[in-house]
Amino acid sequence: MIRNAIERLIRPTETAYAHCDLPCGVYDPAQARIEAESVKAVQERYQKADSMKSAAETVEDYRSRCLSIKEERANMVKEHLWVLWTDYFKPPHVEKYPQLHQLFWDATKEAGLSKKSQDPAQGEKLLGLIKQIDTIFWETKKA
Amino acid sequence: MMMQRLWLALGALAAAAVSILAVVLRRGVMRVEVAGESMTPALEPGDFLILRRGAPPAGAEYGQIVALHDPRPEGDGRLLLKRVVGQPGEALRVGGSLQVNGRVLIEPYAHGDTPTEQHRGINRLEAGTYFVLGDHRGASTDSRDFGPVAREAIAGFAVLRYWPVARAGWLRPPVRRLLGVGPEVPQPLVWQTPSPDAGNP
Repeated sequence: MIRNAIERLIRPTETAYAHCDLPCGVYDPAQARIEAESVKAVQERYQKADSMKSAAETVEDYRSRCLSIKEERANMVKEHLWVLWTDYFKPPHVEKYPQLHQLFWDATKEAGLSKKSQDPAQGEKLLGLIKQIDTIFWETKKA
Repeated sequence: MMMQRLWLALGALAAAAVSILAVVLRRGVMRVEVAGESMTPALEPGDFLILRRGAPPAGAEYGQIVALHDPRPEGDGRLLLKRVVGQPGEALRVGGSLQVNGRVLIEPYAHGDTPTEQHRGINRLEAGTYFVLGDHRGASTDSRDFGPVAREAIAGFAVLRYWPVARAGWLRPPVRRLLGVGPEVPQPLVWQTPSPDAGNP
């Protein structure tokens, strides 16, 4: 009780943060880009399943694995984009870059589409959208 | 009569001392409560500190725990507590271990690894700028995120922990110890903004 009373009496009025913005205040569209590159690479491998598969598996097996991995990676693209969209970007950013909401909408939709598409051109389109977000992101960092 | 005058004099003296102390406390030092765990084990959440206002004396900045306002545009400008690990003119390689001018810095106060997402690579410090890191490397927002910090941006440096009593004492910076070979002071180069690929070495 006495300890609490003393603590209240001598408590500083200011707080200093030895802090970490979980997840560490670290935002980087590179995370989404890497996952999207995986998506595109899997789409390419899916097309070349005959030559890419190991001797121990059938083309169907190899393609099944491709689809499973692609599903997972496409979801990670969405996750990383959502974190940027909802955590990093703030109203002033949207004011300056009015296309931002549409861009994220398109990119996350495209990430969803890549679950269904086996065409590397689709993966390339996804990467193009992420590239646009990346450009805006680094412009806001310079500001 | 004599006793009355003595008490009056003592009272006036005490009032003057309190006034002077109040002015000194307001101008020369600041008191802060620590929140967060990026400076553990040196600082624990709930520690009460006394900081001297302004940057540490030139030439004695290494290892000092400094308070600076969050410089990130997306930050809210609140006070951050971090340790100075790089001084003006030095080249720092941030990664698994910290290298200063090509030599590994021995950091008994640090623990945890730099996450791959944070800026790694070589950071060259211009005149009047410092590289600050949290001791808990795996969970700290610091110069790996917002880059070097200008001397003017440092609001104060920690000198004393006065609460809790069991951990009270002076907060003295460690002596800097470097391993390996390399030039002591390279020519200062321009700080470069991390490239989009910076987090993916």
